[in-house]
Amino acid sequence: MNHTQPTPHYDVIVIGAGATGAGTARDCAMRGLKVLLVERFDFTAGATGRNHGLLHSGARYAVTDQESASECIRENMILRKIASHCVEETGGLFVTLPDDDLAYQSTFVESCKKAGINAEIIDPKEAIALEPAVNPAIIGAVKVPDGAVDPFRLTTANAIAARRNGADILTYHEVTKLNMSQGRVTGVTLRDQRTGEEKRIDSDLVINAGGIWGHGICALAGIKVNMFPAKGALLIFGHRVNNVVINRCRKPADADILVPGDTISLIGTTSSRVPYDQVDNMEVTPEEVDILLREGCQIAPALAYTRILRAYAGVRPLVAADNDPSGRSISRGIVCLDHATRDGVEGFITITGGKLMTYRLMAEWATDLACKKLGRDAKCETATTPLPGSEVTDSNAPVSHGKRHIIELPTDQKAAQGRHGTMTADIDFEANNESLVCECEEVSVGEIRYAIRELHANNLVNLRRRTRLGMGTCQGCLCACRAASILGNELGDHAHALRDLCNFLNERWKGMLPVAWGQTLVEAQFSSWLYEGVCGLDPDTLPPSRTTETPTHAQPSSTAKA
Amino acid sequence: MKYDTIIIGGGLSGLVAGVKLASANRKVAIITSGQSALHFSSGSFSLLSKVEGEKVSDPIEALAKLPEAHPYRKIGSENVRNLASDVPHLFAKAGVLLNGNASECHYRLTPLGLWEPTWLTIDTLAACTDPRNCPWRNAVIVNFKGYLDFYPEYLADGLNKMGFTTRCEEVTLPELTRLRKSTSEMRAASIAKVLRGNTLESLAAELLRVSGDADVIFMPAVIGLKSNAETDRLSQLVDKAIRYVPVIPMSVVGVRAESMLRRLFESLGGTYLLGDSVKSGDFKGNRLQSVRTVNLGENTPLEADQFILATGSFFSQGLVAKPDAIVEPVFGLDVECTATRPERYNKDFFGPQAYMRFGVKTDSDFRVSLGGKTIENLRAIGAILAGADALKEGSGAGIATITALHAAQRILS
Amino acid sequence: MEYQVKNISPNNFEQCIKCTICTVYCPVLSVNPDYPGPKQAGPDGERYRLKDPEFYDKALKMCLNCKRCEVACPSGVRIGDIIQNARIKYDHHAPLLRDRMLASTDEMGTLATKMAPIVNTMLRFKPVKAVMHSVIGIDSNRTFPAYASRTFESWMRHKAPDQSGFKKKVSYFHGCYVNYNFPTLGQDFVKLMNSIGFGVELLKKERCCGVAKIANKLIKEATRDAKTNIEAIRASVGEGRPVLGTSSTCIFTMRDEYPHVLGVDNADVRDSISLATKFVYELIDSGKVKLVFRPDFKKRITYHVPCHMQRMGWAIYSLDLLKMIPGLELVPIESTCCGISGTYGFKKENYATSQAIGKELFDNILAANVDLVACDCETCKWQIEMSTGVPVSNPVSILAEALDVEATRRANGL
Repeated sequence: MNHTQPTPHYDVIVIGAGATGAGTARDCAMRGLKVLLVERFDFTAGATGRNHGLLHSGARYAVTDQESASECIRENMILRKIASHCVEETGGLFVTLPDDDLAYQSTFVESCKKAGINAEIIDPKEAIALEPAVNPAIIGAVKVPDGAVDPFRLTTANAIAARRNGADILTYHEVTKLNMSQGRVTGVTLRDQRTGEEKRIDSDLVINAGGIWGHGICALAGIKVNMFPAKGALLIFGHRVNNVVINRCRKPADADILVPGDTISLIGTTSSRVPYDQVDNMEVTPEEVDILLREGCQIAPALAYTRILRAYAGVRPLVAADNDPSGRSISRGIVCLDHATRDGVEGFITITGGKLMTYRLMAEWATDLACKKLGRDAKCETATTPLPGSEVTDSNAPVSHGKRHIIELPTDQKAAQGRHGTMTADIDFEANNESLVCECEEVSVGEIRYAIRELHANNLVNLRRRTRLGMGTCQGCLCACRAASILGNELGDHAHALRDLCNFLNERWKGMLPVAWGQTLVEAQFSSWLYEGVCGLDPDTLPPSRTTETPTHAQPSSTAKA
Repeated sequence: MKYDTIIIGGGLSGLVAGVKLASANRKVAIITSGQSALHFSSGSFSLLSKVEGEKVSDPIEALAKLPEAHPYRKIGSENVRNLASDVPHLFAKAGVLLNGNASECHYRLTPLGLWEPTWLTIDTLAACTDPRNCPWRNAVIVNFKGYLDFYPEYLADGLNKMGFTTRCEEVTLPELTRLRKSTSEMRAASIAKVLRGNTLESLAAELLRVSGDADVIFMPAVIGLKSNAETDRLSQLVDKAIRYVPVIPMSVVGVRAESMLRRLFESLGGTYLLGDSVKSGDFKGNRLQSVRTVNLGENTPLEADQFILATGSFFSQGLVAKPDAIVEPVFGLDVECTATRPERYNKDFFGPQAYMRFGVKTDSDFRVSLGGKTIENLRAIGAILAGADALKEGSGAGIATITALHAAQRILS
Repeated sequence: MEYQVKNISPNNFEQCIKCTICTVYCPVLSVNPDYPGPKQAGPDGERYRLKDPEFYDKALKMCLNCKRCEVACPSGVRIGDIIQNARIKYDHHAPLLRDRMLASTDEMGTLATKMAPIVNTMLRFKPVKAVMHSVIGIDSNRTFPAYASRTFESWMRHKAPDQSGFKKKVSYFHGCYVNYNFPTLGQDFVKLMNSIGFGVELLKKERCCGVAKIANKLIKEATRDAKTNIEAIRASVGEGRPVLGTSSTCIFTMRDEYPHVLGVDNADVRDSISLATKFVYELIDSGKVKLVFRPDFKKRITYHVPCHMQRMGWAIYSLDLLKMIPGLELVPIESTCCGISGTYGFKKENYATSQAIGKELFDNILAANVDLVACDCETCKWQIEMSTGVPVSNPVSILAEALDVEATRRANGL
């Protein structure tokens, strides 16, 4: 895919294919605008792909930020409906440990209620029965409607929805220039990351949804928006430690949320200020790993001995509102800037702040503004229209996951159903396509081919985000080579596939390195033996790729969420 | 139970030492927890391919450039040369025929179609002294339909580069189609279990059908799990050269070599305790008296005069990495390593990794130490030895076999 | 850092590094591609089942529970246990009547011995077999082992040589097979132990070890039996009598499946539950007893390693004991599964798989051209005898036959 030939003129160009950008492209397209979504790397390559994957109930913000909290719970309920295949309704707990102040619990519950969040105090014993992984020493527990949301699926579904409504999508295209004419933005100049080719594309309006990188986009128009890069590190455990989200019932601090996400569990986050020039270079330090474990073991003791697959870090794209060094007390509120009124630059909108949970609302705000500026009158329908994959069909109507009716399917099809919802119908599971490429995550040949052909995936890292390829226990050791071979065949370029295989192995290793002990190191050594040893793979001696070379920086050097 | 020598670890190194000692009429037991890393062998053994990133043309000559603590340096160039020349003979006794010699490398064809220098290669595998001047030029690359771990397209690239004419074909047989009923189990070993007996005749017919005017058939090394009988038979049935290309993750040639070495060891009277692991040792002074295993329990101490530790690297649990330490888990032997995490690892997956050089401390005679004290009758061999980056040097199999023969020689003298 | 120093969780499956070695050694996978294999059924599947029990695959019942995957695993993953535990935890189908019958060895045995001649005839009668095949699902190719008209327990109580005179004593866990079908093996055991100066007693109470009930998911019943047995074993050990058996499967089940599958704690007595061959070997090895054999005993045999013997790693004891018999020629064969796996091979849906698995072993045995196969497991015995026609004996019986009892008694100062 990704062979989109952009037309010369668009109503709107959306920059950045994180959840917000993809959501904005969807909303614009649904409202009848001609849209181009551009992304310098891949969908979810930024902060969207590097967070907890928590379907916040909003409870976490209830005490400190009522506005965010009530936005969260509203969006939470909307996502359960429109994105059911991306959401797992796990429920959540806020637990009080013996060291914590139990008095905080009542403040917390009150604030939740005020924000419209159904927070119910339950007996600690009941909490332990509900989630056996929780620290048995807890002295208090509150039940909240938290859940898990898969940001990769959510973003892809939004991008597909945009496409189905007529939007064009260009990934691996970086905006190098905002084209300006008489003080207004008239389009963008894009560089194709693979060919280096530049092209100009005109539009009436440009929406900057570049997250933390949006700071740089603004700078292209000579506009300064102060963003506050705060790094958050997380650890991924090898399997489901918990099936209910566990939060610590205290003021937000390090490593106080444990989220089950698909086959794994995630603990996070730390929070530290990083210089803006470091946002492309996130590495998890040993100190951060130690903090995450120390604090994480408080809420779930099993983390002390459960195998850790990898560590990663993201950058919170917050707009600086004060000088808080931790970045935590900053509002998660949405910032939608019309640069015409703010800076006197016409044709340019920035949508930022917010968070994954409110991506749809952010998109709505940005699209409302875009429509207003373009003089269009169309209603937002994103809150009521299911995303591709989450459409209600006869067979999945009774339950949100469409779980019960797939019981007799082979496990790879079941797994695919969990990832693609109703879109699974487009995957060919016949004959040669049902064999598993990734055995840990049950990804079949057919699913890989589907992702390459239909989901804008042209390298292994993209495939990982679309399908969970290489996200399991072996971290690509067993499947990377198989997937590379299919990729080479699909793209007709085996040299590219081999180079990409090296990129992928390196990307996997970067996340394993901070936690490379026990079986995680064994896995890494095994991978090295197979690929460097048996296969003789060495990126320095590989022939250059014939066509679509992916530049090395196309894989952000920071580790991505597995 | 009393033995002359007990070897802990039944991989390449342990088996070679075991065979050598049992051949000299010693009573030997090998204790091994699970199957070994030979299950992932390329089917080629490298002695030394690179020193400090530079390719080596004469491995023996290049030994002098290695650091002094390197296992080869402890053995000495002349000894390494002599022991290296013994290796093919020892394997031949097991029925494993190896081509190549220590003073001049040849090239093996890897699963990704790359040509890598090496020392010895199992005779049926794709390898050549000079790939540009192989005896065959017209190749057909044959895969089995639905088999995901073989990559004809890469091989074609690799062969084309060396001036071959190549063509890719797929074949299948009812027995193989049946395997594909499972989404995950069409693996190398599963295919090998099917391709035997009469099925070989149908396979041969298919190979002849698709090979046309090709003078060589390249196919995945997934035939012959336990012996050479299957590959021999196929060669008889197909009057063309067949060259097998190793696959990952499971190496049928490696399993076969291990099983043939094990059979030789057992036929020489050796005892092979599979699926057992040593849990403790009884030391007296500077000597190890006996070991106790998980399966045999406290009441069956296994006594011996000499012990050999061949438990391998991290992969085989010969070393275990903890967040802040590297330990040898059987006896708690002294280990050479850097403790802090950032020092262990290179951010580049393909860069030199410090952890690969970690291993147990040994004296010039490969005797290990415990709490700073040398254990007189416990030698370490193979991948558990410190001081070598087997992967970057291309020295893993060389170190495994040569330190094994060296230790056996020392014990026998 | 104090965390993660031992990062092996009770979820032992996460030790798996996905090397696929286990798949090479799975006997079921080799012959039946409908089985997902130990890797997918075990550690891979368990990750998914933890996420959502709906991912349980009913093909897991095809697992033989032979544990060869565990023996092969270089990472110490208890793959077989993971699969058995998953069957118990996630498969909510009630066991079939047939499975209950096959698993209830004690109950069936008690009934059958009372009418042994009739039952034996009936079980060999073709129409009966046909009905059992089509109605109950027991394969008509199978022959049930004949029931003895008198149980071993009854022989021990009334006919056994007096055991009270021995200073040193052991308790004998005879198992259902010895009790109901083949008391001779128990008698051989008593002969062997008596000749080296050990008296034999029964446990206060013995129930079936439970292996068949575990395999057929009668977990409540198996647990109840396990608790009874462990209690009786505890009493015996407390009185200074270690507990010996002659069936590798019974012993394996009580040592390893009790804690790993049934959750019945046996840590305090596990080391005192042993096979007769191990016990006797250790006595000989430490110089405490001697065996003297008849010079006229001449046999060419091979030894088959039962899967659970392989898992325990104890074949060495039986083999080394047999090697002590001067007139015995031992032909080595490769250790592969015979395919019966207790009640597994009796089920008509498994018959073909069972025989296909065993084929390699049968061929090897026939090629070895031996008088006798030695084997520590009774179900392997039925399978090998049925499939090859070569008689199979427990090593204890072979030792008892080869033994010069009087000379042995003298050599041990009796």
